[in-house]
Amino acid sequence: MKVPLGTIAGARSGDKGGDANLGVWVRTDAQYAWLAGELTADRLKELLPEAGEVVRHDLPNLRALNFVLRGLLGDGVASCTRFDPQAKALGEWLRSRHVDIPEGLL
Amino acid sequence: MIRIGNASGFYGDRFSAVREMLDGGDLDVLTGDYLAELTMLILGRDRMRDASLGYARTFLRQLEESLGLALERGVKIVSNAGGLNPTGLAEAVDELGLGAKVACVTGDDVRSRFPDALTANAYLGAWGIAEALRAGADVVVTGRVTDASLVVGPAAAHFGWARDEWHALAGATVAGHVLECGTQATGGNYSFFTEIDATRPGFPIAEVHRDGSSVITKHDGTGGAVTVDTVTAQLLYEIGDPAYLGPDVVSHFDTVRLEPHPRGVRISGVQGSPPPDTLKVCLNFPGGFRNATTFVLCGLDVEEKAALVRRQLEDAVGSEGLTWTLARTEHADADTEETASALLHATIKTTDPKRAKAFSRAGIELALGSYPGFHVTAPPGDGTPFGVYRAAYVPRGSVPHRVVLPDGEVVDV
Repeated sequence: MKVPLGTIAGARSGDKGGDANLGVWVRTDAQYAWLAGELTADRLKELLPEAGEVVRHDLPNLRALNFVLRGLLGDGVASCTRFDPQAKALGEWLRSRHVDIPEGLL
Repeated sequence: MIRIGNASGFYGDRFSAVREMLDGGDLDVLTGDYLAELTMLILGRDRMRDASLGYARTFLRQLEESLGLALERGVKIVSNAGGLNPTGLAEAVDELGLGAKVACVTGDDVRSRFPDALTANAYLGAWGIAEALRAGADVVVTGRVTDASLVVGPAAAHFGWARDEWHALAGATVAGHVLECGTQATGGNYSFFTEIDATRPGFPIAEVHRDGSSVITKHDGTGGAVTVDTVTAQLLYEIGDPAYLGPDVVSHFDTVRLEPHPRGVRISGVQGSPPPDTLKVCLNFPGGFRNATTFVLCGLDVEEKAALVRRQLEDAVGSEGLTWTLARTEHADADTEETASALLHATIKTTDPKRAKAFSRAGIELALGSYPGFHVTAPPGDGTPFGVYRAAYVPRGSVPHRVVLPDGEVVDV
């Protein structure tokens, strides 16, 4: 079913110098198995086309994936001209994107 | 067990939180984080104006109000509000005249190695704070220590941890990471906020145990929630590789175990390993001047309206250093003016303050001679200086981490 990712996933994002990070987590093991397969770094770039280089780190113990979006914020928050220079709402943007989620996980 | 609370996640956080945390229930230590990469830049500008500034002034006002209460309750105060001038802040706390024993952690300022930087501060660890508390300090103020050190230091002092008790240090670091952004651990900025009452979240508390495990909780009767989900959200904030580097320990976030606890969430299982030989340095360089304005483009011909105003503004100030983004927020045939409107953001970055100022004048001069329906969300200001952030790494041994104890003795950490 095509629904917002945020139907099952929470997220939090922020800045670290010129990089942004975006953590995504879900609340059951079955949802995590799906998320880890679905949300590759390439898939994240499809969903968030503003992203450049993306590195994914897995945290299965937290049922979470952490993405580092390299260079998204240029020279850091004070210099950055991007909308949302601290990447605070990057996670909520991702949660609003529509993806195919198996009905059994909803 | 030691009960460590947090009352601030940034310079500007809820002023009354210090008093609320002291009034709201039992605590051993109250911490406050006031520093961020951007804050160092703001404090750097304060310091340029007046060398006696450079610390978080709200912290001093909070202590003016609540230090007496903290002393009466025997709650130690530990904060990095010293910013670029921890010594100045320690003196100011002394001058409150309440007889508190004040210690101060210094040595993070490494501008001598980075002469072009406006600010250059190495991230120090927890051992200066621990030394100060072991010497009986009531208040410990620091410059740029890592946010988590505000929790690790008091726990290390309380339990007498050795510097190579990696797992305990890592456990406390994780608890510190959960606390460092205040209410972001207790339901603030939380994706599933509709499931809780997020109107006024309480500030977080970590009950840290001897082995470094902890229970994250908050005072009874406060708003928000402490659940596995709210804590997970904060654990994911501003991290990179799961091997989370710090000055005292590398904390392995892929070993963190969270489970519900009657008072909140229990954190256990965190593995630690020795830290790198280098310390990270937060550098801010003067970047020039910036100015911005947002044009509202209502109704028809949005692209053409944007092109016209862009041509006009670039004719006036030149195109160099200008960034344009057009947010197509308008809806066709809309039944409110606001939803019929798109937003065109223009930003200028330049080394010339006159050009940053000319940008606002040029924007205003268009008011009667541009696209139909011309208006802006707010008139542009004169422009402000901006900073450029860089990270650097320096050998640990090159940074003179010191603590000035309440009796004036200076101890190398």
